[in-house]
Amino acid sequence: MSDNYEPNIVAFLCNWCSYAGADLAGTSRMQYPANIQIIRVMCSGRVNPLFVMNALQQGADGVLISGCHIGDCHYMEGNFYARRRLGMLKELMEFIGVDSRRFHMSWVSASEGHKWKEVVEKTVEDAREAGPYEGFRRRRIDW
Amino acid sequence: MSAMLLNKEKWPDFIGKLADKKLWVPQADGDAMRFAPIAEGAALPLEFSNTRVPPKQVVFPQTETLYRFQLGQEEMEQPQLEEEILLLGVRPCDARAMEIVEKLFRWDVDDPYYLKRRALTTVVGLACNEPCVNCFCPSVGGGPASTEGLDLLMIDLGEKYLLEPVTAKGVDLLAAVKEFLDEAGTDAVKQKEQVISASMQKIKRSVDTEGIPKGLPGLWEDSLWQRVSASCLGCGTCTYLCPTCHCFDIQDETEGFEARRCRMWDSCMFKEYTLHTSGHNTRPTRRERTRNRINHKYSYYVDKFDVIACVGCGRCINLCPVNIDIIEVLRQVKEAL
Amino acid sequence: MEMDQLRKTAAEIVSRDDVKYLIGWKQGTFGYRIAPSFVEDASGAAELLFSPLCTANLATYLRLVETLPVPRGQEADTRKVALMVKGCDSRAVAQLVVEKGISRDQVVVIGCPCPGVVDVALLARKYPETEIPAELKWNGSGFTLVRSGEEIKLAREEVLAEKCRLCRYPNPVISDIMLGEQVIPWEPSADSGVAEVEKKDYAGRWAYWEDQFSKCVRCYSCRNVCPLCYCQDCILDRLNPTWVNRAVNFSENTAFHIARAFHLVGRCIECGECERVCPANIPLGRLNRKLAREVRDKYGFEPGADPEAEPFQASYKPDDPEDFIL
Repeated sequence: MSDNYEPNIVAFLCNWCSYAGADLAGTSRMQYPANIQIIRVMCSGRVNPLFVMNALQQGADGVLISGCHIGDCHYMEGNFYARRRLGMLKELMEFIGVDSRRFHMSWVSASEGHKWKEVVEKTVEDAREAGPYEGFRRRRIDW
Repeated sequence: MSAMLLNKEKWPDFIGKLADKKLWVPQADGDAMRFAPIAEGAALPLEFSNTRVPPKQVVFPQTETLYRFQLGQEEMEQPQLEEEILLLGVRPCDARAMEIVEKLFRWDVDDPYYLKRRALTTVVGLACNEPCVNCFCPSVGGGPASTEGLDLLMIDLGEKYLLEPVTAKGVDLLAAVKEFLDEAGTDAVKQKEQVISASMQKIKRSVDTEGIPKGLPGLWEDSLWQRVSASCLGCGTCTYLCPTCHCFDIQDETEGFEARRCRMWDSCMFKEYTLHTSGHNTRPTRRERTRNRINHKYSYYVDKFDVIACVGCGRCINLCPVNIDIIEVLRQVKEAL
Repeated sequence: MEMDQLRKTAAEIVSRDDVKYLIGWKQGTFGYRIAPSFVEDASGAAELLFSPLCTANLATYLRLVETLPVPRGQEADTRKVALMVKGCDSRAVAQLVVEKGISRDQVVVIGCPCPGVVDVALLARKYPETEIPAELKWNGSGFTLVRSGEEIKLAREEVLAEKCRLCRYPNPVISDIMLGEQVIPWEPSADSGVAEVEKKDYAGRWAYWEDQFSKCVRCYSCRNVCPLCYCQDCILDRLNPTWVNRAVNFSENTAFHIARAFHLVGRCIECGECERVCPANIPLGRLNRKLAREVRDKYGFEPGADPEAEPFQASYKPDDPEDFIL
């Protein structure tokens, strides 16, 4: 692995908590790694496990999903479903051989700019350790 | 060049000499066999009836890029097909299937991809000593030592292979390795006849195809289609593993700004196969799809190319998860005629 | 179970006014094959049988049936379907009821307590199939194979299907009519093949599955045979958006298998059909069993065990495990 390797992370953030939390981290001028590409979704419960699979196929080295804390979901129970589903997705991915450091999930509220910073740092560091992910990429268009 | 003998001990040398081509040989994969490219020197497995996926995958790959391009650009790049392929251990039925399918790829418009690959491929057959339980090749015009579609036929005589060239390519191939070969005498030919007739004895199942190609269209609304398709799952096993099935779908795929147009096997047993953009499906249920599969093989293809598009390899019977048996279906067709 | 009793009961059921047809097993056309049979009248019941060769899970046909739109002025046929089930198959029916894939009163479930079926491929390896259909019977401790007049005794372990070694539900969990005596459940084997993969590291597991998924020809027989894969519009068939490209290569095959396995989380009833029908011999059962085990151990959920349950992926508990959350 080369020293200047920068992992590519796709993050799915819920509109009501984590996205606002990330926004807060920004407006508070907190420094965190710029390896995260954020995709805003309405709720962590909206994250289809296939999003994760597709992100990895299209060149992500890691995926982060973040939503409201349990009990705080804007839609009352969306994150309960997400927890069940994505927990099982993580089991499946690990069983197939996807390094557990490539897939993280967190609860970050709108007021937790500092926590967002920590989560991103941890995610990026883990993905950096795991290295570039070529295994699952759509094969470069060749013959 | 006449028939030659190759001692099995010399097999590695024989293969080594041919390594300038890309070699595809059947290889064991658990219980099943499959064609795979090999490193030089690999042995030819002796006891197998046939591979699960037919060697059509070599001349007609499951996914094949037709050309590639950059999004927003006008230039396109076509594949350079140059590598010579040597297909070893092809059963006569599968070689015959290539010959049958070629008629389609030459009809109307020549298909440059298929024909180029076919031209680059030398097919070395291996006569069947152990046909499988559902082989019925003699009923549809083949046989355990049929040479149609082959460049060279090998017959396993125990300690030796008898090599019989069929085409000029086969003669050239033999000439390239003649140092390892011995002249075949009359006993070898006699032995071959014994082996083949013993093999013929082992083929127990058969189909009487007489009248079927002409009669099938008349059974369009017959109740037999409902009966035989009731248990069909609509999967692609029978068609993907069929050596003569040749339908394909064309898709554009992109990654970033790179894109390609490619074709991949398609199956008439899938409901998407005939699904129109409007949502209308001309073959709405498995009854129509099953009917089409049988009609295509035993009637339409005969009308167009004067040959049944089934070589009797038995794969669809062996591997159908719900025992839809084409021999039994044809028996019912015959009864209904 | 007596075949006469089975055929008599089946004939009675299929003669009822509120039953459209009965789905059971019949003798196949060669070797050890068994074919599904759709019986529409009492005379057809004579071909039905139940033997250790009846591996197929017929519950698939409850949702697989394709119907044309009912022409104006006619009424849809709303009669029930009668279905023969083993223990594992009955769980598929129960799970379909849980998901409201079918309505319980639309099916007449004929339960067949099952002492375990054989792995036909395993049997054929020991005693090659012939063009003449053979017969296999339970004989108390194992199986008796009857072919071309000779009787061969087989030890149970020799040819028992893997799903049956691991079986915890040999008796149907739901039924309207039960045929024969209940079977005493046996101790399921501890070796489900999952541990063999789990003991590898990530790279080793990836290499293992890369090897397996590369063989896939995408015939979709695993999806189609599955009693719980019944979406009218499967994401694998979608073109807009294209979740899984049509190209057959390792990346797309892996995406397909992840999607397939994931969609069965908390739903797979471990009937082993996907593995049985795979023409490429991919050990799909290992994926499903691993996930079923996690669902059982971590969430205490057993699909198809209780027709009154809430579907696993459409429900939650406030105290679901969340040790993986940062």
